[in-house]
Amino acid sequence: MSQKDPHTSHEPSSIRRGARRLFTWLSLSLMSFVGLMVLIVYEARWVYPEIQAYFSQTGSLTGQQLATRARGYVQRAQEELLVATSPMEINSARHALELAYGLFDVDIYQQKYACTAPSLALIDDIASLLDNDQIDPFDAAHALFIPVQCLTSIEMNQLDRRGMAINHFSDSTRRHNQVLTYSSLLIFALGLLFWAMHQRQLRRTQRATAEKLSWMARAMRDPLTGIGNRSALYQDVVAYSNRSMGLILVDIDFFKQYNDALGHPEGDRLLRQLATLLEEALGEEAKLYRLGGDEFAALLPCPTDKALAQFCEAVQVGLEEAQCPHPAHPDNKGVTLSIGGARFVADATSFAAAYEAADKALYQVKTAGRDGWQITASA
Amino acid sequence: MNAVLSRLPLRHSLRHNDGALIKAAVVLLLLFITWLPLAAQAQALSLVNGDSTQKVALGDLRDRSDTTFTIFDPYQGREVEMRGVSFRDFLIEHFGAVPPTLHFTAWDDYEVSLGGWDDPSWYLVTMEDDEPLTLRSRGPIRLVEREYSGRDVENLRDFNDWIWMVRSIEAQW
Repeated sequence: MSQKDPHTSHEPSSIRRGARRLFTWLSLSLMSFVGLMVLIVYEARWVYPEIQAYFSQTGSLTGQQLATRARGYVQRAQEELLVATSPMEINSARHALELAYGLFDVDIYQQKYACTAPSLALIDDIASLLDNDQIDPFDAAHALFIPVQCLTSIEMNQLDRRGMAINHFSDSTRRHNQVLTYSSLLIFALGLLFWAMHQRQLRRTQRATAEKLSWMARAMRDPLTGIGNRSALYQDVVAYSNRSMGLILVDIDFFKQYNDALGHPEGDRLLRQLATLLEEALGEEAKLYRLGGDEFAALLPCPTDKALAQFCEAVQVGLEEAQCPHPAHPDNKGVTLSIGGARFVADATSFAAAYEAADKALYQVKTAGRDGWQITASA
Repeated sequence: MNAVLSRLPLRHSLRHNDGALIKAAVVLLLLFITWLPLAAQAQALSLVNGDSTQKVALGDLRDRSDTTFTIFDPYQGREVEMRGVSFRDFLIEHFGAVPPTLHFTAWDDYEVSLGGWDDPSWYLVTMEDDEPLTLRSRGPIRLVEREYSGRDVENLRDFNDWIWMVRSIEAQW
């Protein structure tokens, strides 16, 4: 059954304000945690390329220093020249020198190391002399110690620079780690704080809502009997919209005389007793209301007129079984009831007609001598 | 002494000009002998695809070099005019498609396997400033990127995918 809760249809502005604050604290909290994630991802993205740059160079062009590779070829040329006895062997050394030249002739070495240009010129000269057979291979090998020395110094210097870069990177990483740690803690603490504020506000809003609902529920109750009042009846009719319902109106016969004879406290007790009796007779699905004085109403799902008649009869039987005394009853009976009923499809318009029909039935019972029930055809 | 006397007529029996010619011929022969293996070595590019190996003559590759562009070569620290062929087109022509990974061997025995070649920015360069590339200029074939995509030209580590002195390319499927 789909029911619209009548108590929340008009949300108070205070609750709306609370909900707005709730959203704000929740947003701040979520933003803090998202910020924390962004910070961590940013730091990770910052560190990863640096690690790649310094520690993942194996196998690439610059994985091994060009100077190292060049020195290797110069030294290979030296070794070959020292034992060279044939043009083929000298040619092999020349090939190594060409490779060394290519690896050595790099702008960064030319710029940073003064020995580079003379060493390259020397390699070029030696290569030319070897081509023209104008230098003894042994002498050529000896002369190549100059480029080897230059390349070795470049290697050492480059290693130092690499070491400094790694140290710088290490320091920088440590700094970033500290920043990351403290920032994370701060953002995490802020996130927790905002979350706590959100929870606090949530509890406040829930408490305010519960209080409001409780107050509204009390406003819909009859304080004497604990059942609903007239306002509750109208709201429940709306809630049962489009369902086939039965409306039963109940009136205590000669209640004024009862009060006069036994006093108002006893009258109140009778009203409470009648509420209990109606509840027991009509079952859990029935909703009960006190419309004022000694007039009660019951609203309950009711598919047929026959079922409505059975409900009215059940009330009568229940009352008879209860055997409530009425010392001032003109007919010397116990407490009796006049009951009128009508069946209708619930909505605001048809309810008015049903109420009128049930009231007319009740009036007819009254005029017929009371202590009975009557229902009218479906409204 | 006989021995000495016996040698003198031989040396002096040759005319001065003849001796110079012989020396020159010997030097030229030596030069040719020494140049020949180097030249033979660096005159072709080997393309390996499974069990088959194909040689592409360097002269042919130079003749086919149809694209000229000027870029800053971070290793030379200057603007250089390069001429070459699109590496992706070259791979498709010779391997039928762009292999996922290529294994390169250079003349300096440097070897590396790299992927991601389905990229139009890579060029197989054979000429630089209108001069054929040699081992000295990190040729005769060099693989370079035409687009740097905002990378720092001062940082050579950003260009360590360049392949110098390419001797052979093996497709790895």
